Amino acid sequence: MGRAAAGDTPADPDLVRRMRQGDESALELLYNRYGGLVYSLAMRIVGDPELAREVLQDTFLRSWDGRATYDPQRGRVAWWLMGIARNGAVDLLRSRTHQARLRERERLSADVPTNEKDTAEAFGLRRDVMHALRALPTAQRAAIELAYYSGMTQTEIARVLNEPLGTVKSRMREALDRLRGLLASSLERDVEGGRQS
Amino acid sequence: MTDDRDHPLDDLAMYALGTLAEAERPRIDAHLVACDECMQRLADYRGVVGVLPLALPVTPPPAAAWRTIQAVARSRRPRARRWQTALYAARWPAVTAALLAVVTWNIVLQRELAWYAHGPQVEALSRRPGRMVILKGAAVPAANARMFIAADGGHGHLAITGLTRLPKGRTYQVWFIRMQGPPIVGGAFDVDSRGRAWVSIDPPTKLEEVREVTVTEEPLPGSAAPTGATLLDGRLERVTGR
Repeated sequence: MGRAAAGDTPADPDLVRRMRQGDESALELLYNRYGGLVYSLAMRIVGDPELAREVLQDTFLRSWDGRATYDPQRGRVAWWLMGIARNGAVDLLRSRTHQARLRERERLSADVPTNEKDTAEAFGLRRDVMHALRALPTAQRAAIELAYYSGMTQTEIARVLNEPLGTVKSRMREALDRLRGLLASSLERDVEGGRQS
Repeated sequence: MTDDRDHPLDDLAMYALGTLAEAERPRIDAHLVACDECMQRLADYRGVVGVLPLALPVTPPPAAAWRTIQAVARSRRPRARRWQTALYAARWPAVTAALLAVVTWNIVLQRELAWYAHGPQVEALSRRPGRMVILKGAAVPAANARMFIAADGGHGHLAITGLTRLPKGRTYQVWFIRMQGPPIVGGAFDVDSRGRAWVSIDPPTKLEEVREVTVTEEPLPGSAAPTGATLLDGRLERVTGR
């Protein structure tokens, strides 16, 4: 996910450095690299192409406005972007009508997408993440997907799942611990790839 | 890690997923400051949460989105900072250019002032001169000059036109050629870019002994006797006033 410099391909932190100098072409490269991912995340959260586009635009404009405040110590550039996108999408979701939010919950799938096109396109870390999510018990996966994609509070999630709050919290932690274990080597490779940049 | 009961691990997971209640955050933040293990655990969780979107089917964004981003981003470029950067880069050339402009302007101004300082005196002398000498070009036909000597004979002015500027190390010299005895130096000068000069002259005490006035080109700092060709010459005439 963190892009290393390969040949003439600039690394993500280099792009942010160039953005700080007002280089619009760096923003365009970052957009070409992560625009699809940000839009997909926004679509997953808000479930509406127009709203997702709004989130997409807002995310990259926020990254442009906040390029001077990006701190590499707090994570990869991609995580930074995903964080902006996720928070923006959740804020948008929370501002929508209750009916729209209900529709969002109904859209919550029990399965990770497995269509052939996705599988064929999956590679590296992306493939590992998909495999790891599939390896989770359905209840754990549902818990973290609700937490991450629905923008609900912990209490709301407990109510939706009809489980005690403590159980929901434990389930989320267990899910993250499991993913951490399953993705440890993949994330390590990704970080090392980023360090080479 | 020590006993899990010492660490708010469930809350850390919620924190990383962004669903921890706002009211709970200060408590977790306070713990994180003092607990390296939990700080590391939170970083690990954040790493996992950060890659969750990779599992989503990728949907290409609409083409118009980038054009909107580009247009807005362009309008939000920090103009002041661009100006500051440009000014910072150009500071020394700008300072040098400004200094050169000031020095050049000062030189031109000094020359103009020197030139015009003579004007009123020459004008006054030309109205009531004691003596006037018209010098014509000898070797330089286009050149001519007028010398006005005060009635008391104590001072005078020479107004020259049509001479060329001299190279470095050379000067024009004014000579009073006497009927007897060696020539007397009346002054030295160079002309401006337009071939003009106004020069203060020190006439000899006995003007009646002067036969003519000449101008020659000499090496600096000037010669004791004319060595160059006579460029201008004119006879001394008595003027009785206008």
